[in-house]
Amino acid sequence: MWVQLMPVLAVLSVLFGGALVLAVMQSLGFAPWFGVNTFPDLSYFGALWGSWSFWQSLGLTLYYAIVSTGIALVMGILLALAMVRIFPGKSLYKYLYKLPLMIPYTVGIALAVIMLGNGGMISRIFAFVGLIGDPSEFPQILKTHYGWGIITVYVWKQTPFVTLTLYAVLLGVGRETEEAAAILGANKRQIFFGVTLPQILPGIVSSTLIIFAFNIGAFEAPFILGGGYPDTLPVVAWRYFNDADYTLQLQGMATVVSLALIASAILYSYLAFYRSFERRIGRN
Amino acid sequence: MARRQIKTALNTRLSTFQKIYLLLIAGFILGPFIPLIIQSFAFRWAWPDMLPSTWWLEQREKSLLPLAWDYVLSPYSRVWEATINTVFIGSVVTVICLAICLPAARVLAREKFRGKAAFEFFLSMPLIVPEAAIGIALLMIFISLGLAGSYLGIIIVHLIPTIPYMIRMLTAVYQGLGRDFEEQAMILGASRWQVMRLVTLPMLLPGVVAGALFTFLVSTNIFLLTFFMGQGKIITLPTLLFSKIAGGTLDASAAGITLVVTIPGIILLLITERFIKEEAFGKGFGN
Repeated sequence: MWVQLMPVLAVLSVLFGGALVLAVMQSLGFAPWFGVNTFPDLSYFGALWGSWSFWQSLGLTLYYAIVSTGIALVMGILLALAMVRIFPGKSLYKYLYKLPLMIPYTVGIALAVIMLGNGGMISRIFAFVGLIGDPSEFPQILKTHYGWGIITVYVWKQTPFVTLTLYAVLLGVGRETEEAAAILGANKRQIFFGVTLPQILPGIVSSTLIIFAFNIGAFEAPFILGGGYPDTLPVVAWRYFNDADYTLQLQGMATVVSLALIASAILYSYLAFYRSFERRIGRN
Repeated sequence: MARRQIKTALNTRLSTFQKIYLLLIAGFILGPFIPLIIQSFAFRWAWPDMLPSTWWLEQREKSLLPLAWDYVLSPYSRVWEATINTVFIGSVVTVICLAICLPAARVLAREKFRGKAAFEFFLSMPLIVPEAAIGIALLMIFISLGLAGSYLGIIIVHLIPTIPYMIRMLTAVYQGLGRDFEEQAMILGASRWQVMRLVTLPMLLPGVVAGALFTFLVSTNIFLLTFFMGQGKIITLPTLLFSKIAGGTLDASAAGITLVVTIPGIILLLITERFIKEEAFGKGFGN
């Protein structure tokens, strides 16, 4: 039995586990190939956590991740609930809504640039109806720290993922329990919150976990559409890593390790909270 | 009254709000592609014109193809190189991933053992740990091993995010398969090889194809790990597009490249819709 599990276990342990262990050791000052070996040395973490810009970057990273996950979740639930209904053109729609899932984030970023940029389509429409007379009068959407460009790209790409997961769960459970609740006199609201929502909750938790984790670690959207300094943590780590001063690479490692620690802490408490909720309502 | 309430609660048709919502989402998803396509055929399209002031068609005598497409299809854009790299890396990753995940999925679907929950959790870790963390950490190792900037290096890192998806989809397939058919074949005197060839494989095949297509899809969409490991030496479609739009502007040739990068996704969408059923996907992720 373990023979069959071995290949996948070996690949993941070596690559994934190896990367994690090495990242932690480097962030603690172990880099003999640069002639740096002060292990264990907390000064890289100290320098990082002691700087105000780290906390600004962390706040920004979490803000983009949380807002876009929340919006994608609400939009995805609404779309999944509509998808289980019968409507003309449904088989076509099932192709259409999955398109963003199939293409890279960079395409989404390009679309954001052409739509939301100051010389983009929406700005042209504003000019067309006479709201603005110059591209610079268009409210800046991209390259600001509000990050609406980044959030739009994430939502565009991830709403289909949430929808697909929840739609699949809804198809799996069928509508019998909803019918039973309706016959017993529940109204639409009660059916949604008392019957449907608990049924799709596991799907909600797993899909939001995945997209939130992705958003925290995403690089390309904040790099292109972000507002510059302070950057999100993955971009900060990348800049440290490419700095001419190679000792900053260790600082970059400390950034990456902090990011992984914070992400795991958030995701772990999210899961623990969900488990305790499950127990309270009597599942498992 | 009560009956009407039940009827509205169980309506299988769309409410007005839902109709509008579906249209809005369709517009949100597809709408931005319209200016993208226009841009790629424009000769001159200045702000605030809603449509190009000069189309390529009017300037045909100046160039045979639309200017943007002429560039996109030429070797200078490196689109062909990136396409071939993307497909090659995706295929190799899919084959390796399938080979190492298939046996494990069989065990996970059928056996109970100590530490199974922990093992499954470990297998889904790559979905949870930020990609940037893994990418940068591995890049250090790969640089010292000389794997950075090589196909081998990129293929190896692509295994990390693809394994969790492949394992989940294949485990769902094995769970749906059951043992009954194999046992019946054995009772009827089939050899192990015959059982494998005539019973297990044909029943497994649709699920395996679905898992393979999905893995290929994930691999072709990876940006960060390819960008870090490729070191600019090996480009794929996502990293090529990144280099064109990194400045935050989109000219006609970048619009053309964006459309080219979209095409594999559309092809895969048309194929996968037949193989990846929503139900199967739900088994992989709904829990």
